[in-house]
Amino acid sequence: MRFLRCLSLVLVCCVFLSRLNPSRAMRAAEAPVTWSGQIASIVYQNCATCHHPGGSGPFSLLTYRDAYRRGPQMVQATQSRYMPPWLPAQGYGDFSGARRLSDEQLRLIRNWVESGMPEGDVSRAPAPPHYDATWQLGKPDLILTIERPYTLAASGTDVFRNFVLPYPLALAHYIRAMEIRPSVPQVVHHANVLIDRTASFRHRHPGDWEDGVPGMELEVDAGNSFDPDSHFLFWKPDTPVLEEPEGMPWRLDVGNDLILNMHLKPSGKPETIGAQIGLYFTPEPASKHPMLLQLEDDRDLDIPAGERHFVVQDELKLPVDVDVFGIYPHAHYLGRELEGWAVLPNGQKQWLIRILNWDIDRQSVYRYRDPVFLPRGTVVHMHYVYDNSENNVHNPNTPPIRVRAGNRSVDEMAHLWIQVLPINVPKGGPDPRLLLEQAWMEHRVDRNRGDFISLYNLAAALAGLGRYTEATADYRKVLAAHPDDERALNSLGAALENAGDWQEAEEAFRRAIAAGRETCDAQFNLAGLKLKRSKFGEAEQQFRAMLRQCPEDAETDSGLGVALDGEGDSKSAEAEFQRALELDPGDFTALYHLGEMAIESGPPQRAIDLLEKATAQRPDDADSRERLALAFAESGRPGDALTQLGEAVQLKPGDANLHALLSQVLAGAGQLQRAIDEQNQALHLQPNDADGWNNLGVLEARAGKTAAARADFRHALQLAPDHVQARANLARLPPP
Amino acid sequence: MALRAAVVVLCMAMFALAADPLGTDLNGHPIEQIAPPGAKAVVLFFAASDCPISNRYIPEIERLDREFAPQGVHFWWVYPNPGDTAAVVRRHYEQFDIHADAVLDTEQRLTHMAHATITPEVAVFLSTAEGLREVYRGRIDDRYVALGRERPVATQHDLETAIRAVLANRTVPKPGGPPVGCSIVPRNAP
Repeated sequence: MRFLRCLSLVLVCCVFLSRLNPSRAMRAAEAPVTWSGQIASIVYQNCATCHHPGGSGPFSLLTYRDAYRRGPQMVQATQSRYMPPWLPAQGYGDFSGARRLSDEQLRLIRNWVESGMPEGDVSRAPAPPHYDATWQLGKPDLILTIERPYTLAASGTDVFRNFVLPYPLALAHYIRAMEIRPSVPQVVHHANVLIDRTASFRHRHPGDWEDGVPGMELEVDAGNSFDPDSHFLFWKPDTPVLEEPEGMPWRLDVGNDLILNMHLKPSGKPETIGAQIGLYFTPEPASKHPMLLQLEDDRDLDIPAGERHFVVQDELKLPVDVDVFGIYPHAHYLGRELEGWAVLPNGQKQWLIRILNWDIDRQSVYRYRDPVFLPRGTVVHMHYVYDNSENNVHNPNTPPIRVRAGNRSVDEMAHLWIQVLPINVPKGGPDPRLLLEQAWMEHRVDRNRGDFISLYNLAAALAGLGRYTEATADYRKVLAAHPDDERALNSLGAALENAGDWQEAEEAFRRAIAAGRETCDAQFNLAGLKLKRSKFGEAEQQFRAMLRQCPEDAETDSGLGVALDGEGDSKSAEAEFQRALELDPGDFTALYHLGEMAIESGPPQRAIDLLEKATAQRPDDADSRERLALAFAESGRPGDALTQLGEAVQLKPGDANLHALLSQVLAGAGQLQRAIDEQNQALHLQPNDADGWNNLGVLEARAGKTAAARADFRHALQLAPDHVQARANLARLPPP
Repeated sequence: MALRAAVVVLCMAMFALAADPLGTDLNGHPIEQIAPPGAKAVVLFFAASDCPISNRYIPEIERLDREFAPQGVHFWWVYPNPGDTAAVVRRHYEQFDIHADAVLDTEQRLTHMAHATITPEVAVFLSTAEGLREVYRGRIDDRYVALGRERPVATQHDLETAIRAVLANRTVPKPGGPPVGCSIVPRNAP
């Protein structure tokens, strides 16, 4: 044993002497690199956001002592560019929050450690940054907490787990910012939040959702209305709070769930994993509507064991101009090179991202410093290379085995998500997101004829674009393969109804009701069809049947209310609307109809209250704004009435009646010329409206434009020779 | 030549210090002997309370301890860093629910004896009539290839292989790669 001790001392001496190596000492003398002089500011700017006490880094680097302790690792971690975590290659996308250290910074860190990590003149050291444990933007408007914390085992492979956090409020809100606070940030690699509009994930896991559900990826049911995913709600250890750009908040509706998908790394001891999500509301609804698009090639992922260079790719041609806000490349452990680029219509190649050493542990959403403009006709490309050999240390299979796409960590994925905001949208044209959805789904169906979910989504996009015949054809193709698909039958019914074929629509709804277990949607649509066709009695029966099956559904109660109102039983109708509001204070139909009833019989202020709530629920609904304008007008608030009507006209510029109504209110407010302009607009849209010409004549006459008024009254009489008022007005005009 | 001479002088000096304890336990008692009577082999696990990779190996070392202790392999958890005082290590033991024998390597004698430079790193000594002979030093397994290059699970269990070789009187294979983790802090660190 003594002998061995001597041997060890030889090594110690060698190490000691090597530190005095003259060439190194000389270099240090030429450029004295010290903690206080150069290193602290590099560390504070690039490392300390995670590496501070209580931060997500596994240790702190705030003090000289801390850094001295980690010096050799700082050299290793930075020279290999493992730290700071930043995967994109330089020059292939200009991202905000880029963490790449410059070569000069790397050299300074190396020199500092090689020269013995001197502290330098302490008085010159920058002040360390201050971090506190409170919410970054102050107390959130709503805090959601994982109900049952999860115990992460002390050891083993990484864990991917999904926690469901139901949105508990009875009113929808727009979210301008979100902060995720894991209870043990040191073991959380990254986290994604998904919005589950239909609580589908919870319903699929009735027994275990409260404990969290394992899985790397998950799919949720987006529901029946077109409401595409729009935001990257992604967290990694240096993301303190996610603030959305101006005008781009995201929305949470009553009954939505947030799903927190966390990538957890065992620490060596059991960890109790909880998390809180802090949400910050904004009263301003979204004025810009981005959309997430996905390029993917999971179907071609079939990687032979040992294959070192397996390529998959995808491309998508954009049908509209867009700004790209962010990008999220995603593969599992075999991915090596992940590239995304665009080829503009002029043939120019524009890089979106390039990662040459993919590492799932350091994955991230990357947001562009300035949005990247891609004109219509641009083709976006995804090109991924996988390494399924033993050389890939991340390979989860030893020895390598054939790997295909899947949700487990031993499976693979090939996804490239981009967040785009359609721009240069022509006024009055269709929702550009529907055009993107159509292009995206057509592409997916082209690649895989058996992808009936995409075919269904394509049909839904076409229906949204008003192309009901094409939508109907695609729904029928889905039904040819899945004849009892309740949702496809229901959507087919809706498309047929919109195409005017109500008999076929009714048949489709009835088949959907017969096919489905959860038949409330189709029953609702069938009842709605009856309402639209003024078959109030049948609608009432249908809604009452639904109430037995879906008793806690506010929309059913409000639908029944509409049916009863149509039958003339306004008292019973009012009771149903009230019941709907008890179930959901934001039920639009109930608010709207109660508001309408209040205009007729209640105090005007009650109508205003109800209709203001209705417009808050559906800011884009022109009818409720029109009714609200009426309520304002009745309570002597013409200015507010004008504002609402102005909004309504903006929403429905092709609605002649709205222009005519606005003209009347403007005239009442004494704005004669604007009233004439609006009435002209109404007549432009509806030139055969004799009443409208008569009204225009009255306005022209009041403005002293006798000749124009005369022409208007004559026009009215041409259209309707028996128009008594026009004739009387014409007679009242002074002779020419 | 000058270097060699210096080493010899220092080695001679160590002879005089040979009676010093190897380290202390968590109660401050000196530890003179790390090979209990009858032990076939001794494993030193160089650990640090503030090194994440070292901590992630705790369950693996405990597994090996449980498996090989009955076969005469004695495990010591050696804390070589100046910051890992008795109080810090006691808290570490509580947090990670560790029950193994700890040595505070206050003078870093065990570190030097084993030539350890990193936490986590292990040294295996064969206990012979002449004393202890180091037969393995290095990584525990191949999960960490470098900082930031990590396998989902280990594929080569170097330490386990070494212990099995010792117990079977076979030649102990060398580690398949360098240890990865945190440098051991010099005793005179600020």
